Amino acid sequence: MAQDVLIEIGTEELPAGFVNRALEALPKLVVDALDAARLTHGDAIALGTPRRLAILVKDVAERTPDVEEEVLGPPRSAAFEADGKPKKAAEGFARKFGLQISDVRMVKTDKGEYAAVTRREKGRAAIVVLAEIAAALPPRIPFQKSMRWGDGDLAFGRPIHWIVALFGDAIIEGSFAGIPFGRTSRGHRFLSKGAVEIPSASRYVDTLREAHVVVDEAERRTRMVAALHAASQRAGGELIDDDFLVVENASLVEEPFVVLGSFEERFLELPEEVIVAVMRGHQRYFAVRDPKTKKLLPSYLCVANTAIDPARIAKGNDRVLRARLSDARFFVEEDRKKTLASRVPRLDGIVFQAKLGSVGDKVRRMGALAEALGAPQGRDAAMLAKADLVSLIVGEFPELQGIMGRWYGAHEGLDAGVVDAIRDHYLPKGAGDAIPSSVLSAAVAIADRADTLVGCFGVGIVPTGSQDPFALRRATLGILRIALEGPLEIDFGHTLEQAHAGYVEQIKSVAPYAELGPKLDEFIRARLRVLLGELHGGDLVEACLAAWDGRSLRDLDRRVRALAAFKKDVAFESLAIAFKRAWNIAKDAPSGSVDEARLEPGAEKDLWDSFARIRTAMEDHTSRGDYPAALALVAAELRAPIDRYFTDVFVMVDDLAVRENRLRMLRTIASTLNRIAHFHLLGG
Amino acid sequence: MTTALTFQDLILRLQAFWAERGCLIVQPYNSEVGAGTFNPNTFLRAIGPEPWNVAYVEPSRRPSDGRYGENPNRLQQFHQFQVILKPSPLEIQELYLDSLRALGTDPEKHDIRFIEDDWESPTLGAWGLGWQVWLDGLEISQFTYFQQVGGIDCKPVAGELTYGLERIAMYLQDKDDVYSLAWGTGVDGRSVSYGELAKRSEWEWSTYNFERADTDMHVRHFDEYEAQCGKLLGLQKEKAKGGALQFESDDAKTRLVLPAYDCVVKCSHAFNVLDARGAISVTERQRYIARVRHIARAVCESWYAQREALGFPLAGVLAPEGPHGSARSARTGGAGAGEPINVPKKKKEG
Repeated sequence: MAQDVLIEIGTEELPAGFVNRALEALPKLVVDALDAARLTHGDAIALGTPRRLAILVKDVAERTPDVEEEVLGPPRSAAFEADGKPKKAAEGFARKFGLQISDVRMVKTDKGEYAAVTRREKGRAAIVVLAEIAAALPPRIPFQKSMRWGDGDLAFGRPIHWIVALFGDAIIEGSFAGIPFGRTSRGHRFLSKGAVEIPSASRYVDTLREAHVVVDEAERRTRMVAALHAASQRAGGELIDDDFLVVENASLVEEPFVVLGSFEERFLELPEEVIVAVMRGHQRYFAVRDPKTKKLLPSYLCVANTAIDPARIAKGNDRVLRARLSDARFFVEEDRKKTLASRVPRLDGIVFQAKLGSVGDKVRRMGALAEALGAPQGRDAAMLAKADLVSLIVGEFPELQGIMGRWYGAHEGLDAGVVDAIRDHYLPKGAGDAIPSSVLSAAVAIADRADTLVGCFGVGIVPTGSQDPFALRRATLGILRIALEGPLEIDFGHTLEQAHAGYVEQIKSVAPYAELGPKLDEFIRARLRVLLGELHGGDLVEACLAAWDGRSLRDLDRRVRALAAFKKDVAFESLAIAFKRAWNIAKDAPSGSVDEARLEPGAEKDLWDSFARIRTAMEDHTSRGDYPAALALVAAELRAPIDRYFTDVFVMVDDLAVRENRLRMLRTIASTLNRIAHFHLLGG
Repeated sequence: MTTALTFQDLILRLQAFWAERGCLIVQPYNSEVGAGTFNPNTFLRAIGPEPWNVAYVEPSRRPSDGRYGENPNRLQQFHQFQVILKPSPLEIQELYLDSLRALGTDPEKHDIRFIEDDWESPTLGAWGLGWQVWLDGLEISQFTYFQQVGGIDCKPVAGELTYGLERIAMYLQDKDDVYSLAWGTGVDGRSVSYGELAKRSEWEWSTYNFERADTDMHVRHFDEYEAQCGKLLGLQKEKAKGGALQFESDDAKTRLVLPAYDCVVKCSHAFNVLDARGAISVTERQRYIARVRHIARAVCESWYAQREALGFPLAGVLAPEGPHGSARSARTGGAGAGEPINVPKKKKEG
């Protein structure tokens, strides 16, 4: 009868990240091993807490199946003499399977007759197979870092203390690195006393639940979140959701309890971001806010591993938080004794990059560039944008950069646009994040990233594979998104050239732009392929990139959108095929202009005349960036003539003069279209 | 908890507890260190195969953390209680929890957590994995399983337990201000506070570290101790191809490893004072750190070579037994690693 299988590895407290990653990997590791052993089974479920990693496999067969299969050997001629006497090859073949020569028979195949035997293998007992699988499992579990302990050579995420291995209610006899498999687990470190015997694999979850261990991570999270909401209500507020804290806290306890604590209201004078950063970063507490005003309440929620005495635990945590908030307030008060502007000189002492000078140098370059991008206050904002990096509070909580600069600036009474730029020039922080909404913020944001990008390329720091220490890919995507969606239109190529000019005076070792320009252009195009390709398809973006001069991103975007819309036009398909054909034949056409006198009346002359009629208008539309209009003209006027042309006209005639003239004509038409997009790069 | 332990009771209890469990009780290092890890009883003894169990108080100095006696939680000198168990016994966490019980703290009634906290000093080739221990949200101890020191694999692995004594005392005595802690009982039977012992000292040392310390002298001391360290080890200026250190003599017994290690400690402290004085720029900072790491590595390699040349005299006192870090064998000796500069490791003061 099929039975459930349990393997539990008991450890010292594993870090949250270790548990999550191991649990992700476990089912596949075990299922692959079972499949390789041909042991049939049901679902495999990974379970775990800080102190254990477990896998529960449903309905594992009692035995691996008996095997009976026909195995082909050497061909008849190699196996037997003409008179039927066996040759060496046939004897060896039989021996290989532990059989006699009399067991060898002949079978007919498409390729002739071959020697064959029937191989029979008895199935093995699951419990024996499982012992091998369990013993091979621990070293295959992936950890971010492994450690050794004691005087052994074994490496694991944390020291291993016990291993439970059960097939139904039977112990899978075996061991790993001297640790024997058994049924003895442990309950909660503090809420359960002594050993916990697991009666059977299927009773695992329930048995441990009684011992105050909730082994299912999802159940732990659900219970924890419910308790968090209930406690928030008790505090008269609502929980501020925080996915990071949910995952983190659920991975730090074996049974979740929520303790409600509080801090003095006087700390609410601090910026809310500071309070949340202190609670979250240092203590992993959840914050609570007033459901109506959305303002922070002087309460917090701590997820605890035990709660025999919640008042005592709250008291201890209150004390810790009070000290932490006092520290933060000390930092903020000290910081406010100096203006942001007075901090700027200290930026000269912070290295931006060893070869690229200080952060002070950087903000000066950023200022000039932001101003050139069309933000009159660009210099003021850029100079102050990084000033909070030398504040005490940002030293303690780097994630508050920008936020605190804005807060300090606002308290100094600085210009509202400038203080917003201090905060918002860090946007977007990630793929889904908002982008700066004002011209000033956008200009500083672009200047910051363009400066980093050009400077790094200038000293040979170019991303390769997974190596991108200055996050240049993300910086570039940031520029692209701001330029495409934000309030500021930029000439990308020119912006980078200006960024480079900012370096030229300061830093001698930066490579000349003539050398960097093409590399940067290639890098940016690769990012655009990613960014726009996801939306519109890679070939379409490729076709437009080929026609784009690397300057206005909105121009590129207009091309892409126009072509995407054009793709839905009834005329698209045949035009695309025709233009692709035209380009493929004529791309290497000899230079010179079309000799109209040589054009044959009919399809050839008609196509040229149709083209000539719309050419000027098309070029005008293209120059203005009105690609939909240009493509509409093409669809309306060229579709029928070009179709007829390829039906009626044979281009590659023997008469050299006629042939070259035809090639010139096709090339002229295709080149004009190429100014919009390179149709020959479209797929299909 | 009945009557709260005084600061000195806390130390005495911990000493008694670990002495009963087979640790040698030794005394603090007699030079300025930033953490108990710097005591050669940890830093050097973590290297090599010799078992070693030891416990000691370490007054630890972090010049930059001084607050002129005005901050209730920060001190330029605080106290760590350091325990080294090498090899690390399998029940090391239980031993630690028992030590809390010995202090009158019932782990069952509190929220005790082992939160990931790794220690690493990459260029020194020293790192370990472990935890900080939280008691109701308060970090009271650190746990590290040393993996490598001076680029040398720790075999066996030493387990390091570091108690932050001021923090634990503040929790035990329910005090928010370190200076109001009861240290012990004075001649007239009156309670003597931590502040009476340390407040003036904090002010003087803060003033010294931040304002008065002679920077030229400290720069000079750094250079001189660095040079002295190299001489004592016969360390050659040039590294071999591949970056290996080269010594004038292959006979490690000719090297004065312990005085050389003392020079490393002196350099480290000089650096910390200069740092507190704001006399070191960001770029210089990295160079200073690299210089200390360089000589610390030379000391570690020399220590290993010397113990090896001496036949690892403490090895085999208790033979390792079980397959994965047997419990009993861990009762013997210890040593540990530490960063060469006082700065990296987490704060442990009250």
